[in-house]
Amino acid sequence: MSSEKLDLIEKVLKSKNIEEYEIYLVERAIFETIFLKNKTENEREISDFEYFIRTLNQKENQTGIGVVKGNSLDPLQIERIIDTSLLLSRNNSSSKYYFPGNAQIPSIKTADKKVLNDPLAIKKDLAEELIGEASSQDEASTTFGRFRIHINNSFLRNCNDLNLNAQKTFFFVEFALKAKADGKLSEFWDNGYYKEKEHLKFNERISNWARRAKDTLRAEIPKAESSAVVIFSPSVLKYALTPVIGLHSIGKAHTEKISQFNIGDKVASDNISLIDDGLLEGGLSSNSWDSEGNPQQITEVLKNGLFQNRLYDQKYAILDGVQSTGNAKRAESGTVVNGISNFKIPPGDISLEEMISNIKEGYYIEQFSWLHPDEMSGNFGAEIRNGYYIKNGEFQNPIKLGNVSGNVLEMVKNCMYISKEREFNENTLFPYMVFKNLTVSS
Amino acid sequence: MSTKSYDEILSEFEEITNHYNRKDQYFDILYDSVSTTTIAKTPSSEDFSINLKKSGVVARTFLGSWKEVATDLSSDINVIKQRIPKLTNKGAAIAEFKGWKLNKEIKPKIDPSNISIDDKIKKVRDIFNYIKKSDERIINVQVKYMELLIERIFVNNEGCRLRQVIPRTRVGIFPIAKEGSVVDYDYFIKTGEIGFEIFDLIDNGVLDTTVKNSLEMLEAKLPPSGRKTIILDPQMAGLIAHESFGHGLEADQVLRGRSYLKQHLHKQVASEISTIYDTPSLDKKLGSYFFDDEGIKAGNNVLVENGILKNYIYDRRSASELKATPQGNGRRESFAHPINVRMSNTYFGSGDYDLNEMISEVSDGVMLVHGYFGMEDPLGGGMQCTSKKAYLIENGEKTKILKATALSGDVLELLKNIDAVSKDALRLDGGTCGKGSEDMVPVTSGGSYLRAKNALVSQG
Repeated sequence: MSSEKLDLIEKVLKSKNIEEYEIYLVERAIFETIFLKNKTENEREISDFEYFIRTLNQKENQTGIGVVKGNSLDPLQIERIIDTSLLLSRNNSSSKYYFPGNAQIPSIKTADKKVLNDPLAIKKDLAEELIGEASSQDEASTTFGRFRIHINNSFLRNCNDLNLNAQKTFFFVEFALKAKADGKLSEFWDNGYYKEKEHLKFNERISNWARRAKDTLRAEIPKAESSAVVIFSPSVLKYALTPVIGLHSIGKAHTEKISQFNIGDKVASDNISLIDDGLLEGGLSSNSWDSEGNPQQITEVLKNGLFQNRLYDQKYAILDGVQSTGNAKRAESGTVVNGISNFKIPPGDISLEEMISNIKEGYYIEQFSWLHPDEMSGNFGAEIRNGYYIKNGEFQNPIKLGNVSGNVLEMVKNCMYISKEREFNENTLFPYMVFKNLTVSS
Repeated sequence: MSTKSYDEILSEFEEITNHYNRKDQYFDILYDSVSTTTIAKTPSSEDFSINLKKSGVVARTFLGSWKEVATDLSSDINVIKQRIPKLTNKGAAIAEFKGWKLNKEIKPKIDPSNISIDDKIKKVRDIFNYIKKSDERIINVQVKYMELLIERIFVNNEGCRLRQVIPRTRVGIFPIAKEGSVVDYDYFIKTGEIGFEIFDLIDNGVLDTTVKNSLEMLEAKLPPSGRKTIILDPQMAGLIAHESFGHGLEADQVLRGRSYLKQHLHKQVASEISTIYDTPSLDKKLGSYFFDDEGIKAGNNVLVENGILKNYIYDRRSASELKATPQGNGRRESFAHPINVRMSNTYFGSGDYDLNEMISEVSDGVMLVHGYFGMEDPLGGGMQCTSKKAYLIENGEKTKILKATALSGDVLELLKNIDAVSKDALRLDGGTCGKGSEDMVPVTSGGSYLRAKNALVSQG
């Protein structure tokens, strides 16, 4: 069916003698259960498809790029979409650009066959397991939750005979558990995408959430400290490192003179290495090919604190006279943007437990309200939602409210420890990390 | 892209809807289509894209819980009848609201569809070039124009036959400044239920101010940390009204047992000079509409009056459960997203203070300006709202400029500590709001200037 859709669109493109074109088509199926307390509130099934046509108009030193999105298969409407794309490409003035041709595309597994075969049955089983685990908690009760299965089929064809397809399955969980004692309420509320069924680990995860909800009942406002030692959990690091290190590592930021990273610069502590791994097993952004059809790959970004390589899509690779590193992402509008795939940091040499025991006084942050650093400057400040105060190598008491602030670009130069343990969080595989010289306000 | 007319869609929807008897079950069906044009320019790229009317349909029934099916229009929508079960005696499971009819299109002063793509591109390039040449310290400029035309058609088995067509436009301008090793920026965003006339609101004076604001950030210092008297500009006031306060009033959170405000209904939650509204029926604001995605007419909800909590914010389900009158706050991002209780235009009412008078009475404080982002804490009542910049107030005067500043602590404590509200005209700024991390809908928030004592500020 999908190849028929592509054939139909390509036929219209060819009938109009378009020389440089690309079709990117996505079919999505979503199956969701929404919970109100521990009861099902909504069962949803969604099927959706859309495609993007990009056409190029080569000019002397520039290329005009037109992008149009649609979801009609009526030939007249397809023709209208193509004409609109041509109009845009005539008016657009981008740097020299051409579509990729065939290249060696790595083969990786991105879909779970069991999910593809019977998504409704898998969703039913997992949703029951999730709510069953939550209902069995003595210490906390469910307020609401969402569980989804996603199936994405992506197809890319271009005028250079590139003809690619990929299937991906993944999960989404949003869940809130509430604890109550002596008229006080607290909760642990989390959400995120999980690439593999094995990453869901409801048994372990729900008990952990319930314990954190209960602990937060006795949370204290943290003590203010102007030069604090702070442990960030892997999920906190996703929000801290990904946007800032990501921005300064991409080719676009270099071209636009907003990157603070030069190749060979010392930008982080010796103990930090960071890899952009487009093929990471279990990484949410893993795929054989990127959004314009270049092979995804493994690129060393930081090695022992030194900046090693920039991350390129086709456009910025051409501008810098290098090869794409497979770092093109597709924006909702259909335009291609330069971005990261999966970031991973190799494990350190001590356990989380040892890490805590090495800290005389400090803070452990499991979750902020919303950590949203300024990508360019790296400045951040965020309210603590769930965490612990550490005294003499042990968790002293839970903490909530108060604010941790600093600068991500400076923080990564002050990394004291990296844990052996690592966790997947969407497109990151990060350990726990300890940083010094941060500010805690209360 | 649907090429069917309204009458054809209506006729198809009526046929499907008639399949489900209201006495036996509630049923509704929504057609959603969106057309967009996006023109973005940075020093190294020009991204132009058009979405030619992407459309889909979502239908649902209530059988004690919702059963919902959504599909793009490439499949036969009669699949809905196969997938939504026909029931008996489930009609009373959810309250009935009177059906009504409407077919309304907002006509902008300048319809973007009558403007050529060349002219739209020229506007963006002109702004880009003007800012780029304005000062050598401006090292990078990002300009983005976006226009949307949203059509929603809603039919249910209570007699609703509704259609609305709403244009929305947005222009964002980001001049990035650098001096020595310091790189920083401020930005300007204009949004509304308006058309191409949005560019009439962005003259050279606005661009000059935007550049000046970015350059000023090069001098900004880190804010102090600790308890201060604060003054919030209308954007920051709006962030408090929406993120920290309003999310706790969404009645789905009440049903979930997850609202810190449940115990405060009809009680004092703010100082007596505070009034807070949520009003989807406001004229031409980004969060305005005629009916929500459940066919409920947009109303005006007084949430807090003279400091007393008067009402929650409802969708059809929570209004039914709590026996309340919904004001049109059941919203979807698109046909592929679920209904949630959502705010619309949420704002503080004006007061009687003069802004200069408010500042002059502060000996040691911080004025937080240009609301940047915020996060809700509906169960805990915690607050995290961050401004892009701030000013130190010393001995009754605005002095040094400060970098991004976070406001945290307990939201009710802050609201009760409001001791002055300015008499300035209400200002509402647009943005998008998620329920948790997703399901984004357009909203506005704002008010006038607020002053509060003993608020916790720190670096944002």
